[in-house]
Amino acid sequence: MSPHPDSAVVDQHGSALSSDADDAAAMLVGAVKRYGAGESAVAALDDVTIAFPAGKFTAVMGPSGSGKSTMMHCAAGLDRLTSGRAFVGSTDLSTLDDRELTLLRRERIGFVFQTFNLVQTLTAEENICLPLTLSGRRPSGDVLDQVVSLLRLGDRLRHRPSELSGGQQQRVAVARALVARPQVVFADEPTGNLDTRTGQEILGFLRSAVDEDHQSIVMVTHDPNAAAWADRVVFVVDGHVHDVMDRPSADAVLDVVKGLGR
Amino acid sequence: MSQMVRSAARSVFASRGRFLLTGAAVALSVAFLAATLVLTDSMRGRAAADIAEALAGTDAVVQGVELGEPGGGPGDPARSVQRSLGPDITERVVAVDGVAGAAPQWVGFAKLVVDGSSVGTGTASDVGRNWVDDPALNPFRLASGQPPTEVGEIVIDRSLADNAGVAAGDVVRVLTATGMHDATVTGIATFASANAAPLQRTVLLPDAAVSAWLDTEAPTEVLVDVAEGADRTEVLARLSALSDAEVVDGPDHIRTMQDAATSPLQFLNVFLLAFAVVAILIGVTIIFNTFTLTVARRRRESGLLRAIGAERRHVLGGVVIEAAFVGTIATLVGLVCGVAGVDALRWVVGLTGISLLTGPPIVSPTSIAIAAAVGIGATILSAWIPARRAAATPPIEALRESAAEPRAVSRARTASGLVLAAAAIAGGAMAVVNSNPVWLTLAVAIVPALVLCGPAIVTATARWSSPAARRTAGVSGSIAAGNLAASPRRSASTALALMLGTAMVTMFAIFASSLTSGVGTDVREGLEADLVVTSATPDVSTIDPALADRIAALPDVEAVTALSSAEGIVAGKAEAIGGIDPTALPTMFDLDPIAGDLADLSSGGVAVVGDDPARLGGTLEIEFERSTVEAPIVAVVSRSIGGFEAPLYFVDAATLDASVGRQLDAQVFVDLADGAAADAEEDVSALVRDTPGSFLATQEEHVASRGSEIAAFGNFIDGMLVLASLIALLGVANTTALAINERSGELGLLRAVGATRRALRRIVRLEAALLSFAAASIGIAVATGFGWAMIDVTGGTEIPSVVVPWLRLAVTLVIAVAAGVVAAAWPAFRVSRMPVLDLVSGDR
Repeated sequence: MSPHPDSAVVDQHGSALSSDADDAAAMLVGAVKRYGAGESAVAALDDVTIAFPAGKFTAVMGPSGSGKSTMMHCAAGLDRLTSGRAFVGSTDLSTLDDRELTLLRRERIGFVFQTFNLVQTLTAEENICLPLTLSGRRPSGDVLDQVVSLLRLGDRLRHRPSELSGGQQQRVAVARALVARPQVVFADEPTGNLDTRTGQEILGFLRSAVDEDHQSIVMVTHDPNAAAWADRVVFVVDGHVHDVMDRPSADAVLDVVKGLGR
Repeated sequence: MSQMVRSAARSVFASRGRFLLTGAAVALSVAFLAATLVLTDSMRGRAAADIAEALAGTDAVVQGVELGEPGGGPGDPARSVQRSLGPDITERVVAVDGVAGAAPQWVGFAKLVVDGSSVGTGTASDVGRNWVDDPALNPFRLASGQPPTEVGEIVIDRSLADNAGVAAGDVVRVLTATGMHDATVTGIATFASANAAPLQRTVLLPDAAVSAWLDTEAPTEVLVDVAEGADRTEVLARLSALSDAEVVDGPDHIRTMQDAATSPLQFLNVFLLAFAVVAILIGVTIIFNTFTLTVARRRRESGLLRAIGAERRHVLGGVVIEAAFVGTIATLVGLVCGVAGVDALRWVVGLTGISLLTGPPIVSPTSIAIAAAVGIGATILSAWIPARRAAATPPIEALRESAAEPRAVSRARTASGLVLAAAAIAGGAMAVVNSNPVWLTLAVAIVPALVLCGPAIVTATARWSSPAARRTAGVSGSIAAGNLAASPRRSASTALALMLGTAMVTMFAIFASSLTSGVGTDVREGLEADLVVTSATPDVSTIDPALADRIAALPDVEAVTALSSAEGIVAGKAEAIGGIDPTALPTMFDLDPIAGDLADLSSGGVAVVGDDPARLGGTLEIEFERSTVEAPIVAVVSRSIGGFEAPLYFVDAATLDASVGRQLDAQVFVDLADGAAADAEEDVSALVRDTPGSFLATQEEHVASRGSEIAAFGNFIDGMLVLASLIALLGVANTTALAINERSGELGLLRAVGATRRALRRIVRLEAALLSFAAASIGIAVATGFGWAMIDVTGGTEIPSVVVPWLRLAVTLVIAVAAGVVAAAWPAFRVSRMPVLDLVSGDR
């Protein structure tokens, strides 16, 4: 983990950032994302500056349309900012072209989506190794074994996604996100399509990846119970960071969320 | 109802891209069908109309007694052989009561030669005939200049004049049976209103030149004008009483001429229509695929409509109206393109050497109606099937279920396909074993078998190719192979179209190569002469007989012998009869006698080509134009001299000349002296160059060029391959685009986890390549099997053995795969440019 190279920039942007800036897995600085043009333009992100600390589990919460997903997409290099800058580690994403951005996603970022998580035509093992094989690498046996045993997928590796339950599929997706040991994992509502028990299980895996391997994880969710698994919750409203809560509990999160509704 | 139409129209416009492709497929197939129908119609119609118009004034025709049935295979004008009329026939016809006019027609060979080279190539024949002065009977009309009156004056048809750039007053030469003649063009004529008579290039001579130029004493036929007021039937009856002659009623004569002119087209029509059917099939496939997806994507919507009380027919009606909308517009575009594209098709057909269309195309309402009905009907039908399936789904299921096609392949379907395939293979085998073509009809079952087995084949292909694809292209390879099996039914229907296209091309390629080889075998094995002079038009004799003597006079030439050929009737069938010098020929072309002695031909015997030595000693009756020859069979030979219409009987050249009159030579064989000067060949070549209608080839060249007439056919096949690829291209592009649409989430995921744009394009292209490869190789394999069985069973003596043109088939395969990859290029490019997020969210 390299320290942030440009602390002058960071200092301009308030206290919420400065304490974590030197140790951020990913970071947005003065991020603005606007859709449309002229009077009908809508700002999904309105001058957001936030750092996602390395080795921590961060949850991003907010009501529908708050910009929480946009925030994640821009931080993960899936979408480009209208202005401002996004960093993964010390890399400024705005300086990368599409190919470099793709390689960055492949090598330094892990993804877990709500749906469309697996390539249907590949086996579970092939799906897990996909980011590595795309860059022509082979997973080291240790790491693969470790991830597979962490997610208890040992007996499912040769199955195709259609032969797996929803929870198993999502575990494969998590394994894929973790296996390349990325700098940061972004998870977009990873439990949104699962029943409560399976969802809790997935969150448990994410939690232990952070605790045992110091993996950095950023998760977008609208479920206070899911957010409670994180080290820190960032509340987003109308494209702004509204609040940050460390060591959250489900009730405390729920209280804030209720407050947002008003 | 009108609201439904409006909403259907809106829905079509909303997904322009998809419907543009579908529309293009429909339009293209309709265009091809329309162009085919219009062209064949026009060729037939034009020729028929021209003949009817030209012969309108002829009430009856008196001609020689018919000796046998007209021969005629693919590309052959049907001909009959008739006994020649007596020289006094015209006087005898005029003397018949009720005949107002009689015009004798002398018809022979005449080739126009301008600036030392003959004018016109292709299958049309070079005809010389006398100019008829009676305008009521003359099929030709003077377009400019004067009719020919003196020997040495000629009139030529307008298309010859246009081709040669000759105008009235120009001095040209004419090659006829009696050699080369100098001539002055006095006028240009049209055949009725057409530029030329169907499939003929005509040189018109004055009556005075007939005997010296065409070497015929008696006319070929006499055109009769029945006097006004006379009872035609009675006059005809009186004419038919003439001895040694037959009379044909005017309308019957017109019909015979029309049939003769259009029969070469039958084969072409079948061929073109077969391609049109394939084009339509591909079109239908595309429509079917598109609507299946459209309907699937709207399942939720229709489920909702059904849930709130819409009836099935509402859901169904919307789709059908949408299809009718697309089908109608596309069909209209297709019709316009088709009619406009007749010229393009005419060009492709022209590659065969058959070009018949002498005027603008005739667009008949029937052609248009058929093409339109097929276009609109096929669109609606192929939309209706998936729509009905969707409408039958209970509303709640439609709301719940995902849009994807089930991956499982129906076992019953595959099983019945396998049964059919087994039956087809058994049928082919029975046909070969029993030499009975009836069994081949069973072999046709391979087509429905492939339709039924398609999804299973696709799935199997995906499974088998996966390891290889993985080895060569890494994870992209296995994803591509897997995608193939993701919607087996859709992949299969696309593959089917490609399969049919390549199968057609393969069949005809095998047919052509087997024919070429069959024609070439005798030459390869028998030819021993150093040089061969051949006719300008294959299988028509066009060599000036004086050439052989001139070559023989050269110092370094050891031996020269000429071969002539004429038609005669043997056992009721028109056959080519060869005239040879029995002592000179064997040293230059080994006919391989298996019984008897060729030398005995000089005493009036005949040699037959065959493999049964027991025929020796029998008698053969050959009816010629001038006389009937009854000759003992003095030799049985195992080969002929090669060529499409190589003689199956040989007589002495003198016997042939006596029976049919003087002939041009078909081939001249030349042996150079041992130790001949290096420029000996050049001397012969110079003589041949100065003799229009003849070409010189060395032994090797002649062996190689036999069957070159089929090469023209090969060009046509290539043209068709291009057309088939073009249509198949649309099919692959469509399927690829649909597949991408359906899998955009997955593709987005690949991009998100680090697949580059290039990798994505590669996956899409690979998938198309795999599908094309599987389809084309199955198409080629099946067609090779079927074609082999068919030629083996029906080939006869013309195609003794099946020759599979491996190289051409390999090229076909490569082209098909390349076409698939090219077709996938645009969808691949588009998807690789799409923002990752749009793909992931399925928003496109």
